[in-house]
Amino acid sequence: MTILSHQASANLIEIRDVSYRRGKRAIFDGLNLCIPRGSVGAIMGPSGTGKTTLLNLITGQLQPDAGAVLYKGRIVCPCSRRRLYKTRRQIGVLFQHGALLTNLSVFENVAFPLRAHTRLPEQLIRQIVLMRLHSVGLRAAWQKMPSQLSGGMARRVGLARALVMDPQLIVYDEPFAGLDPIAIGAILRLIRQTNDVLGITSIVVTHDVEEARMLADLIFLIADGKVVAQGTPERIKRDDSPVVKQFMSGLADGPVPFHYPGPSYAEQLQAMAAA
Amino acid sequence: MSDTARGVDISVGLFILLGLVSVIFLVSQSLGASDISGNASYTLHAKFDHIGDLKIRAPVALAGVTIGRVSRISVDPDEFRATVDLRIDSRFSQLPVDTFASIATAGIFGGKYIDLSPGGDDMVLQDDDELEFTQSAILLENLIGKFMLNTKGEPTE
Amino acid sequence: MSTLVRNSWSRFSEFAATFGGFQMFSFRLLPYLPAALLKPRLITEQIYAIGVLSLVLTMFGGFFVGTVLALQSYGTLVEFGQVDSLGAFAAEALVRELGPVVAALLFAGRAGSAVASELGLMRATDQIAAIELMAVDPVERIVVPRFIAGMISVPLLAAIFCAVGMLGVYLVGVHLLGVDGGAFWTHIHDRVDLYEDLGSGMLKSFVFGVSASLMGVYEGFYAAPTPAGVSRAATRTVVITSVWILLFDFILTGISLPGV
Repeated sequence: MTILSHQASANLIEIRDVSYRRGKRAIFDGLNLCIPRGSVGAIMGPSGTGKTTLLNLITGQLQPDAGAVLYKGRIVCPCSRRRLYKTRRQIGVLFQHGALLTNLSVFENVAFPLRAHTRLPEQLIRQIVLMRLHSVGLRAAWQKMPSQLSGGMARRVGLARALVMDPQLIVYDEPFAGLDPIAIGAILRLIRQTNDVLGITSIVVTHDVEEARMLADLIFLIADGKVVAQGTPERIKRDDSPVVKQFMSGLADGPVPFHYPGPSYAEQLQAMAAA
Repeated sequence: MSDTARGVDISVGLFILLGLVSVIFLVSQSLGASDISGNASYTLHAKFDHIGDLKIRAPVALAGVTIGRVSRISVDPDEFRATVDLRIDSRFSQLPVDTFASIATAGIFGGKYIDLSPGGDDMVLQDDDELEFTQSAILLENLIGKFMLNTKGEPTE
Repeated sequence: MSTLVRNSWSRFSEFAATFGGFQMFSFRLLPYLPAALLKPRLITEQIYAIGVLSLVLTMFGGFFVGTVLALQSYGTLVEFGQVDSLGAFAAEALVRELGPVVAALLFAGRAGSAVASELGLMRATDQIAAIELMAVDPVERIVVPRFIAGMISVPLLAAIFCAVGMLGVYLVGVHLLGVDGGAFWTHIHDRVDLYEDLGSGMLKSFVFGVSASLMGVYEGFYAAPTPAGVSRAATRTVVITSVWILLFDFILTGISLPGV
């Protein structure tokens, strides 16, 4: 409920000193990052650094063990369920494979949030849904069932659904994973256009270095539970630290080792011979 | 799209209908249903020394035909006998006052029921009257005991 | 030896924890029930998926259980000269025991596992997370309609099972084995008690329906979001539901029998 300084509210999302453990493992340890309003932020990092966990913290599905996740200056979690749902109505999420409801048609999927949260007349719902589908290029597919769509199409429908309630923040979880170059190009264009035309803020969680470079205003590289590098794509490109260099250039070995940790080769051969 | 929705509605409706029809069928096949069907009836009382395993809703039969049901079983605290209430269909309101009520068994494994043998008196039983002549249930143990007594001439250990 | 003890203890505490979680989940459902009845559309769709599609299996099972019951009991009844009671005997067995129990077991296998897989799959493909993030309560929207649909369907299926079973008994008894048709139905009238037999049978099937539905949605909703997790949820549903049905059957039969 506390609105912090005016300067802080220039950031739509603020992550302050957040720590989160799962079991014995500390996934985040003193994580700090800010996403300014109206920008596209890319969150990247080696596999298993908890990028999805970060998304869950932002949407309030998980609660940090320490520190705070702030949306528009207010703490996301812990809070009442009603306030959480209110916050979530301003956030749209696009899941990795679209997460469409399989028993509903494309049209019904996009209409779902409208039917759940508004009492708009059927005419108006139809217009809004078709408009959103048109903006992702799938207006003519409105009757299809999710099982009849390709991966890229399903993801685009998911985007239409995420946008239908006019959110202020939209989060993309691995939007390029598993898509052919044409589909990737389409999604790239959609993300950028949506952000600029609608004046919203976007967070993209991704592995894809090239796409992130083309797309993002700010890149955040997370490793070992902390932000190890952040800045504009050019700044990151010029960053020389080994962690950043290994990730951005796709080097097989470096701070993230190629070999699974264990005894040396010689030791293991001797142990197996003796057994 | 609303075609499939209508199809779903129809099938669900038929399903529930089928279920209810089945329930009604089963209800109609069970005894106790005619109790509910509200034929006019009147009640007679009969006292027994022992009722065996006579149960409520056991048939009351005249010449082997069911004309009513046992509606209540209680114990008389003064006489130490069981009082059985019989609900008889009003169509059979001409039972003489010396009608004999006994507790009989239907077949070897059958349950107990009340068998009425009409007497010859001119006066008939009215609602809430009591049957004077009754015979209690024949208990198997007593029968066996009698049998053993008769054949040996003296009780066996 | 100590590993055996440790394993048994961890199995038992896992079971107890699941049972506790299961209770919490059931209580969580309760407040949604009255409100859900105002949204008949969702419930109707689920009754179709759960009840209507189980109908053929149930009728099939009912008919053949009836015929087998008639064939089996004929031999014994003929020995005691009680062949005319075939209908009564079979009807009592069907309505009291076989109908509720077998119909519920068939339901657990066909519909219970289907519901568990469906919910498990929704969990695995992020659909449940998506619903939550669209600020809709997945329990209200997805779980409760399925639960209510099961609760309604199982007693209906049990009744249909019994009725079709009686048809099977009649066809075999009267037309195949030569039992007298008139005596067949009269004896049923005299023996099957509305409250004791039919009433206890319906009560049982209601209890079974609640259990089967509850377990199906619970296992599915909390399934691990992996393919292995989904199939595990489906299997567990069938196993656990069957065990509980048989357990409840024992308890309910034990309670109702001494009563007059």
